[in-house]
Amino acid sequence: MNRFILVALLALTVSPALVSAGDTGTDILENSCSSCHDLKGPAPQTIHALWKRDAPDLFYAGNKFQREWLIEWLQKPVRIRPAGVNYLRTINSTPINQDVSKKGRKYDVLWGEVLKPLKHVTLNKDNAEAVADALMQLTPNNDLTAEMALDDAQDVDLDSGELLIDKVYGCLSCHQIEPGYGGYTGAELYTAGKRLQAEYMLSYIKRPKNWDPKIWMPNGNVKPDDLQKIANYLILLSKEDFNASN
Amino acid sequence: MRLIKLFFAVAALAFITTPAIQAEEAYLNYKSYCMQCHGMHGKGDGVNVPAMNVLPRDHNDNKYMMTRTNTEIYNAIKFGGQSVNKSIKMPAWGDTFTEEELHQLVGHIRTLCCESEIIRGVNFK
Ligand code: HEC
Repeated sequence: MNRFILVALLALTVSPALVSAGDTGTDILENSCSSCHDLKGPAPQTIHALWKRDAPDLFYAGNKFQREWLIEWLQKPVRIRPAGVNYLRTINSTPINQDVSKKGRKYDVLWGEVLKPLKHVTLNKDNAEAVADALMQLTPNNDLTAEMALDDAQDVDLDSGELLIDKVYGCLSCHQIEPGYGGYTGAELYTAGKRLQAEYMLSYIKRPKNWDPKIWMPNGNVKPDDLQKIANYLILLSKEDFNASN
Repeated sequence: MRLIKLFFAVAALAFITTPAIQAEEAYLNYKSYCMQCHGMHGKGDGVNVPAMNVLPRDHNDNKYMMTRTNTEIYNAIKFGGQSVNKSIKMPAWGDTFTEEELHQLVGHIRTLCCESEIIRGVNFK
């Protein structure tokens, strides 16, 4: 709970007047983001440390995100993982009074803060750009992304991409490929193509552990060709207009 | 005589406490990595299940789990469902856990399904 009050307070106190004329982006990161986000690394090395993570690690943000997406998101933050960054805190055992008449079976459910809209600092356009620039400077994992290159000749249509994500590698159990379609505990995939750099997607899917040693995403042993196809699919998918279809 | 007794006491203590620590690690691992599909109590009722077209195994299903050997359970966890002729929706965790952790997870699953058999001393192979 304290975390949310803190975020709210920070949201109130972050005003352009407070930050120096020097490196605005870095100052905002230090003052307003570092209490929840790890800006220094390394990623959690034990399961206990992982349980303590409050927000996505940002220390390799420059290897991960697309600048344009960051600028947009920082002005209008929304939840990316339906079960939150740390699903261990947001899943509740099957409640006794769950209505089973519809589904016929009982399941564990999401509960608490994660059911409400995300609480996060909101920045104006200038500060969002400054912070995005500062984040893009954080690139300790260049060696990982340098190994990867997108081969856009390995393109796929939406149907064969979905086949890979669902039937072949089973990603859909945890990840959504359109709002409400797919599991809850992973990050949404329908925005991945515009949120993430292609090299990051390739490298992370290939071996999540290289980025986040204790993360719950398994290594799917994705074949090299399929890896390229999945990345191309995610880029294609992110161009769909999901608001229109709803 | 005294010394020998002491020796046995220490040995017995070591025998009891090591598995307890391991059991806790395995419980934590199960809760962190498996619960999203297999459920908080391993009943195959995880939060992701409504979005899945293959149901995760109910690890409390004693009757079914007794038909599985420890080797089969180990292979399912390390190499994924496909390696034991089950669905690919059961991921492979070989890159996530050490050998020791994999064996501990097998042990943990046995406590979910087969506690009375463990107490009776059944050899699961
Ligand atoms: C993405 C969801 C998912 C996750 C996460 C998951 N499983 Fe599974 N698991 C499944 C599904 C689905 C099945 C059933 C496969 C079938 O019956 O074809 C299964 C089956 C199994 C089986 C039974 C295999 C058999 O012989 O019938 C074992 C053992 C198992 N899982 C262990 C684990 C362990 C241990 C973990 C955590 C490290 C884990 N699972 C994580 C989805 C998952």
